[in-house]
Amino acid sequence: MDVNRRDILKGLIGGTAIAGVVASAIPAASSETEVAAQADAVGLLYDATKCIGCRACMPACQNANGLTPDRGNSGGLYMQPEALNAHTKNLIKLYVADDGHERSFMKQQCMHCIDPACVSGCPMNALHKEPMGVVGWNGSLCIGCRYCQIACPFNVPKFEWDQVNPKIVKCELCRHIVGKTESQPACTKVCPTHAVIYGKRSELLAEAHRRISEHPGQYFEDRVYGEFEGGGTQCLVLSRVDFSHLGLPKLGKESGPAQVRYVSNFIYRGFLTPIVLYGGLAGVMSYRWKHHLIHSESPEHHEGDLPEATTQEEKQV
Amino acid sequence: MSVKWRRYVRLDEPLYTKPFFVFASLAGIAFLLGFYRELTGLGYVTGLNDGYSWGLFKNWNVTALTALGSGGYAVAILTWLFGERKFHPIMRTALLTSFLGYGTGMLCLGFDVGRPWNFLHFNNPRNWNSHSVLAEVAICMTAYIIFALDVENMPPFLERMYQSQDPRKSQLAMKIFYAIRATYPFFVALAFLLPTMHQASLGELMFLAGPRVHPLWQTARLPLLYLLMAYILGLACVLMVLLLSNMVWNFGWDFDILNQLTKLMGRLTAAWLAIQYADLAYRHVIGLVFKFDFYSLWFLVQTFLLLVPALLLWFRPLRNRPGTLFVLTFFLSIGGIIYRFTPTTIAFFPLGDYRYFPSVAEILMSIGFTSFAVTLFLIAVKKFAILPAAAGKAVAGAAVQPFDTL
Repeated sequence: MDVNRRDILKGLIGGTAIAGVVASAIPAASSETEVAAQADAVGLLYDATKCIGCRACMPACQNANGLTPDRGNSGGLYMQPEALNAHTKNLIKLYVADDGHERSFMKQQCMHCIDPACVSGCPMNALHKEPMGVVGWNGSLCIGCRYCQIACPFNVPKFEWDQVNPKIVKCELCRHIVGKTESQPACTKVCPTHAVIYGKRSELLAEAHRRISEHPGQYFEDRVYGEFEGGGTQCLVLSRVDFSHLGLPKLGKESGPAQVRYVSNFIYRGFLTPIVLYGGLAGVMSYRWKHHLIHSESPEHHEGDLPEATTQEEKQV
Repeated sequence: MSVKWRRYVRLDEPLYTKPFFVFASLAGIAFLLGFYRELTGLGYVTGLNDGYSWGLFKNWNVTALTALGSGGYAVAILTWLFGERKFHPIMRTALLTSFLGYGTGMLCLGFDVGRPWNFLHFNNPRNWNSHSVLAEVAICMTAYIIFALDVENMPPFLERMYQSQDPRKSQLAMKIFYAIRATYPFFVALAFLLPTMHQASLGELMFLAGPRVHPLWQTARLPLLYLLMAYILGLACVLMVLLLSNMVWNFGWDFDILNQLTKLMGRLTAAWLAIQYADLAYRHVIGLVFKFDFYSLWFLVQTFLLLVPALLLWFRPLRNRPGTLFVLTFFLSIGGIIYRFTPTTIAFFPLGDYRYFPSVAEILMSIGFTSFAVTLFLIAVKKFAILPAAAGKAVAGAAVQPFDTL
C-alpha cells in the first residue's frame, strides 16, 4: 500500500510538472490582453476651463432619459443631487481649494472606457459595448448583482435601491436618440459654452491636444485625462486643476480588465489547466476508489463495528 | 481519553428541543424578511448603497460561508488524494457542512441580487460572459452544488430509503446507490476541481476593483490566498462542528483525527501568513503594515487572530483539550472570516461620502439563513447516520452496508 501511495505521489508531481511546462510554454504577457479603441468610437470632450457651471446639461439629460428629478435633501423644491444616483446620470460639481482661490467645475458621468471594468465583470453581458464603443445596459439580461458598481474605477453605475424591479442607471451617451432623432447627446446639445462636445474619440483627442498646444501651461500637466488612464476612456477631460481634485482617480495605462485577463490566462491557460487537473484527479480517484471498495466492503472491516445491540429498536426489547 | 471513531451513526436524541426551535424561528424570520424584500426592494431591507453595493450577504453568507463550507472539499483531499483513510469517519459530517454552507449561501444570494428572475437566462450558455470572473464563480458554485455536493450527500438519504418497509423503495435506493458507486470517482474529481476554481475566482473578483481596494489587500495573488484560506476555514468549520456536536451529544473524543486536522489547519495558516507577508514584501507595500493607521491596525488584528492560535495549536497539550481547541479554532476562523470581509467593505474605497453598516433586517436575514443551515444540520444528524461515534455509544441506528462505504 505504501509503495502505491508513493507511486501516486510521484505521478501527481510528475503530472503537475508536465502541466507546468506545457502551461508556461503558452505566453501570457499582459500587453496581449490589452484592448485598443474601436475606429468608430465616439465620446465627449469636457473642458472644465470653459464650463460656467450653469447646469443646463443636467435637466436636459433627465428629460432626454426620462429620469425623475432628484430632490434629495432640498425639501422637494429643487433638483439637488449630491452625487450620481438612480435619478442622475450626469452631474456638474464645483471644486474649491481650501485656500478658496483655485476652483473648477467637473462633469461627472460614465467615462465610456475603451476596456470597461463593468463590461468585463458583468456575468451575463447585460453591460456591453455598443457599435460605437458606447457602454450600454440591457435590462433583460441583468441579474442585479451590482458587480459593475464594485468594479467601476469611477464609481459610475448606480442602482435603484428602492425599486422592486431595479435598474442599473448610467449614462449611455443618449444612444436611444443619437443617430435617430438627434445628432448628439442632450448634454452637448444644450451646453451654451461648448464646454462639452460630442464626436469621434480620435477627433476629440486631436482637438484636446490642439487646445493644449495653443494654450501651453493652461491645462494640468498639459495632458488629457482619459487618453491613457485605465486603458483609455472615450470621454476625455481637460482641466486647469489637478485631476485628482475633480474626483478622477490616478489610474495606470493598463486597464483593470486587462490585468484580470492576464491573471486568468496565467491560471487557466485557455482552459487547459482545468482539463489536465480533472484528468489527473479522476485518475487518482479511480485508483483510490477501487482500493477503498475492496477495503471497506471486506468482512474484516466490519468486525468491531458499532454493535447492532446499541440501536434503539433492540434497546427497547 | 481517546477513542476510535467508527463511521456514521444516527443520534438517539429528540429532535424538537429548545435550540431547534430557536434556530428554526430565526430561519423563519429570515424567510419572512426575504419575502418582504422581494415585494419592496433591497434598499428597504439592507443598509447597502451606491458606494458599498456589496455587504453582509456577500461577505458572510457567500464568501465566508462557502469558505467555511469547504470542509468537504478539504477533508476529501486528505482522504482521497493523500490516502489518509482515518478521515473516512468524519467524511459525511464534512460533506454535510459543505452542502449546508454552500446551499444557504446561494439561497441568500438569491435574495441579494436585484433582478433574480433574470437568472433564467443563465440557463443559456450563450449569455455567459467568458471574461467575467463572477460568471465563473456563479457557474462553478451552482455546478458544484448540483453535480458534486448533491451526489456526495446522497448516501445517508438512500440508506434511509433502503431501510423503508416498501421493497420498491429499497430496490430503487439500491439501484441509485450502485449508479453512484460506479461513477463516484468522476463526481469526486469534479468536487475537487470546481471548488479549486471558484474559491480562487472569489479572490480574483476583487482584483478587478483595482485601486478601489487598499493595497494591503489588493494583489494579483488574491486567488491563491482565497483558495488556501478556504482550506483553512473549511478544516476549522469541520473541527468546530465536531467539537460542538461532541460537547452536546458526547460521542467520544477521537484525538487522533482531531489532532491531525488541527495540526494541518495550524500549519496551513502559518504558510498562508508567510505567503501573505511575502507578497506584501514583493509588492513593496510591507511598510503599510506598520503605519498604525486604521488599515494597518485592522491588518495587524487579522494577523494576530490567525497567528496566535496557529502557533498555540502547535503544542500537543493544548490540542488535546476540547474546550481550548474550540476557542483557538474559533479565533483562528474569525481571523480568516475577517480576511474575507475586508476587500469588499472594510478596505474598499467607495469613492464618495458613503457609509455602510448592515441594517437590523439585513443582520436578521444573514443570521437567519445561517440558522437555517444549523436547523437542517440538527435534523440531519438525528434522522440520518452522519456523525462518527465511539464503539458502544448508544445510538438510534448506524450506517448499513453497502451505503457505509460512502
